[in-house]
This record gives sequence, structure tokens and C-alpha cells, in this order.
Amino acid sequence: MNPLPLIVAELRRNPLGCAAVVALIAVAVALGVALSAQERALRLASARAADRFDLVVGASGSPTQLVLTTVYLQPAALDLLPARTLLLLQADAGVAEVAPVAVTDSFRGYPLVGTTAKFATNGGKLSVVDGRAFQRVDEVMIGASVDLPVGEKIRPAHGTPAENVLEAHDHDAQLTIVGRLVRSGTPWDHAILVPIEAMWAMHARPSSGTSEAVNATASSHVGPPWSAVEAGPVPALVVRPRTVTDAYRLRQQYRGRETMALFPAEVLNQLYAVLGNVHDLLRSVTFVFDGLLVTGVLLIIVTVISARRQSIGVLRALGAPPAFVFVTVWLQGAVLIGTGVLLGVGLGFVLAKAMGAMVSEQLGLAVDATIGAPELALAAALLGVGSVLAAAPSLSTLRVPVARLLRLA
Amino acid sequence: MVFRTFAGLGLDAHGLRVEFTDRGRSPRVVLDVGEFRVDGGSQVAICGPSGSGKTTLLHLFAGLERPARGVIRWGEIEVTALGERVADLWRRETVGLVFQQFHLFPGLSALENVLLPLRFDRWSIDPAMRARALKLLERVGVLPGSDAAWLSRGELQRVAVARALLRKPAIVLADEPTASLDRDMANVVTDLLSSLCRSVNATLVMTTHDRLLATRLDQAYDIVNGDLRSQTLACMQQRLKSVA
Repeated sequence: MNPLPLIVAELRRNPLGCAAVVALIAVAVALGVALSAQERALRLASARAADRFDLVVGASGSPTQLVLTTVYLQPAALDLLPARTLLLLQADAGVAEVAPVAVTDSFRGYPLVGTTAKFATNGGKLSVVDGRAFQRVDEVMIGASVDLPVGEKIRPAHGTPAENVLEAHDHDAQLTIVGRLVRSGTPWDHAILVPIEAMWAMHARPSSGTSEAVNATASSHVGPPWSAVEAGPVPALVVRPRTVTDAYRLRQQYRGRETMALFPAEVLNQLYAVLGNVHDLLRSVTFVFDGLLVTGVLLIIVTVISARRQSIGVLRALGAPPAFVFVTVWLQGAVLIGTGVLLGVGLGFVLAKAMGAMVSEQLGLAVDATIGAPELALAAALLGVGSVLAAAPSLSTLRVPVARLLRLA
Repeated sequence: MVFRTFAGLGLDAHGLRVEFTDRGRSPRVVLDVGEFRVDGGSQVAICGPSGSGKTTLLHLFAGLERPARGVIRWGEIEVTALGERVADLWRRETVGLVFQQFHLFPGLSALENVLLPLRFDRWSIDPAMRARALKLLERVGVLPGSDAAWLSRGELQRVAVARALLRKPAIVLADEPTASLDRDMANVVTDLLSSLCRSVNATLVMTTHDRLLATRLDQAYDIVNGDLRSQTLACMQQRLKSVA
């Protein structure tokens, strides 16, 4: 048998109706696919951003805020840890590396992050593509997304970008951009990375005049190890323990009245739980929406098929075997559903990319949504269910006697 | 099972009874045919007003419906005894159908409409059948490429006639094939049906409400109270009247 000419003719008869069915299915599939892909990408991106933050130590306060500020550079005034904590951790045999992270100042909307060159480059994993790492207290590096030229001299303002308006006071210190880091896909791409010593110089001893302070220490080295004289207070310390045992010991040890220690994953899991709830809500809304769309599509198909009952009767009267009629009617539906699902996957991909771009803009996370196995499984499931449903109308007509179908004039 | 026969088959029907039961009412007798024969290769018209049971009778002859009682035999085959699937197969191999409402498929070209019954059981069309389809379309005077959606009623029915005759059926059953055509076109279509059936020696049974048209065939019958009555006498009178 060859039902193709008839199928093509039937589909050509009502191009608008076919387009409407395809569009409805595509939208339904796109929503589901985009949501699923987007959520996966967001989880991946946020987990990746937290990758190098093994253990975060901060002054007692909100664990969530500590993670948001240290990992995602969300501006907030954190309480400071005394310099003693840094010195203690530095001396701990179970600590492979300790890096201060201070998010306090900003320049042209870019947060200034005081840290070490080693931590900023993730132990050398992030290369400096343009220039070199900072080596002096008056040198800085910039993230890949910072729109400033290497070689530019900057004069940072105190406070976060948001606070600048209220609490603006320029530091005298002049810092030179000496290098640009490769893109990491994290909020740190938007940061200006400053030696922590420069932060100490600007803040810890403001009365002594920052310019001299910076200049005074300019000759001395930056980065660890710090002496008791050099070390200053910091809002957060990122610790890389030597072993897993060390990690848990340190976490326990620095959980006290004055300090807290946490794995970012703990906080992320809480965030994911909230995200998951939002996602579940969205998913049920999408589910209802998709249900409505599918019902609409089925109604259209049933209407079209019942309008074609007479044609089916004619085919049967002309001697078409039931299998021919079934395949013809079923394929008409299946072609529309298949086209809709395929378009929907494509549209969902575009939608997920667009949502990813929006989220990237908002959070500074490189959210790269891709269509993976879960989305393809979703599309395949929809295709399967659709194909089964598409069989219903033609099966129902096969039970009706041909003579009755013919009389439906 | 092979039903294919190339000679016109004779019809022998007797004791046919069809009843319709409306909801909650006693059964109404639609057809009650005592004896009805058609010689193989001959052409007969069955006349009657609408609602007289013409379509039901034709459906019975085509094996599309079953009588409550009675036997219909085409040649050696007792159609009333065939199962539904076998009847479908028999009809495909033996019967060409023409409907009042043409029932062509818009979106398909005239040629594809004629070839459609071949698509039921094969993927590609035999060149000889394509040539025959083109010849039939030439004979009925419709361009093969024209979309059925844009054909006039007369053209549609001529294509339908070509479709019915494509496989050189032994029987052609036409249900009011001219009812939605004007007088001239009705004559053209009836003559086409008649001559094309003649060319393949198919037995033609055509229903019509138009007694004048019926005279163009070998024989005409009236449906009177569900039974069939030869029209010869009445026909002659009508012919005389129309001449006068």
C-alpha cells in the first residue's frame, strides 16, 4: 500500500489548521524542554562556580549570605574575621591553602575582590590571557567580562556598587591593571581582582593614609605566607584542606560562637531545594498548560477526523483494507505531532538559551543550557503518547459500518 | 482468494427484505424484492423517488450492507454469504462504484484520484495501469494534472467514472450518478458510463430518479413499494409522450 499521496493531499487541504496544530504542539514541547534544560544548566553552572571553594570560613552570621557573597560575589557587608583566624589556618598542618576573599569595594560597577593571585587563578588552572598575574600591592587583574583595558589605572570607590551612591568615598590608591583572566563562567568573570594586601592597606589602616600605606607596602611581597604584622581582618577565608578528614575537622573546629565554617555545597543544596520547589511549581503549571494544549490538539484532530468520516467510508467502499485507512488517518496525525515535537525541541533549545542568557546576565553565571538525554526522553515520551492518541480516531471509524459512513452526507 | 473476472457477471437476487427500525417504533419495510435478475454485461437503470430505497439496494448489491433476508448472487459468488473482510476484497476486485456526490479527494490530481484504488495494495503504480488511467481521462475529457478541488461537478463525475472503470471491473454500480448534474452533463455522464462499461463488458446497474435518463440503458425498473417492476410499458408511453 502507499498512503502517502492521500496523506499529502489531506494535509494540503487545510494548511492553516495543520500549522495551528503543529504550533500548539511545538509550544507545549518547547516549554517542557526549555524548563528542564534550563534547570539542569543552572544547577551545573552554580555547582561549577562553587567548585574551587572547598571550605569557607567566616564570622558568625548567615551561612547563605557568606556563600552568596564569597562564591557569587553578591554584595553584602559581612562581619570580619580577625587576622588571628587567618594566621591559625595558615599554620594548620591540615590546610593546603588558605585564601582570603574580601568583597568590599567596587569600580564602575565591577566588584573589587581582594584575594591571592593563586586563588584568583584557581591554582593556575585559569590562565592570564592578557598580561600577567598581580605581583605588587598596586597591581590588579580583571575577569574576562570586565570592560577595561589592561594597563589602565583605576581608583576604586569604597563600598559595593549599590552603596557607592550613599557612601562614596574614593580611595587615593591608584591600582594598575596588569592582566586579564580567561573566562571561567562564574561571577568572578565580572570581578576586579586585587591583592588582599591592598585591601588591608586601604581599609585596616585608613587613618594612616591609604596612599602611603599602599606605597609603603608596594615593595614587599603579596600573597602567602603572611606574618602577624602583615595579616589583617577579612570577611571570608577559603580553605583547601589536605584530606577529607581535615576538611571535616576544620569545619567542626571553626564552628563556634565567633566563626562559622561550611561547605558551599551545604548551602547550595538548600538553595536547590528552594529552586526545586519553584521548579516543581513551574512544572505543574506547565503540565496543566500542556494538558490544555494537548486537549486542544486532540479536539482539532477529532473534529477533523469526524469531518473525514465520509471520506473514510468512501475509501472503504472503494476497497481500501482497514489497514490502509488506519495508516492513512494515523499518519496524518502522527506527521503533525512529529513535526510539532521536533520543532518544539528546537524551539525549546532556543528558549533555554535565551533564559540562560537572562540568568547569566542576572547572576553572572555562564548558564549553558543544552538539550540532553532528559529533554530528548521527554520529547520521545510526548511523541509516543501522541502517536498512540493519534490512533484513536481512526480506530473508532473502523468499527462503523461502511454503508453508514457513506450516508453521512 | 481470487475473484478477478473479466466478463460481465449476471445478478440473481431473490427474497430480499430490508427493514429499518426507528427508535421505539415498529420496523418499517424498505425493500421487499421477490425476484430480480440482470444478465451479464447488460445495463439496467433502477428508478424511484428519493427515500424509495435505491441507495440501500445498491449497497446490498455491492456487499456494503446485509439484507435481513434473501440471497444476492453475482455469477458464482453469493455476496450475501461473504464475511465482511471477504466482501471488501470481492468488491475491490469486481465492482466499480460511482456515487452521487462523486467522492473524489481534493488535493489529489485527477490522475491520482483515478489511480487511488491501486494504492490500497501496492506501493508503485504499474506503467500499464498509469497508461490506462491516462487513456480513460482522455476519454472522459479531463486533464490528468488538474486538482480535484478545482474541477466542475461534471468533470468530477467524469473522473469518478474513470476511477470506477480503471481495473476493468465485472460490475459497475452507480448510485444517482447524475443527480447533481444538469441535463446535458447528465446525458454525457450516462453515455460515458454506458459506453465504457460496454467496452469492458461490465454489467452496469445505475439508480436514478430521472426516468428519461433511464431510457438510455438496456432496461429500466421502478421501485414500487420496495419491489422492482419492469418499466418497459411505462417507458414506451413516456417516450411516445416526449416525442409527441
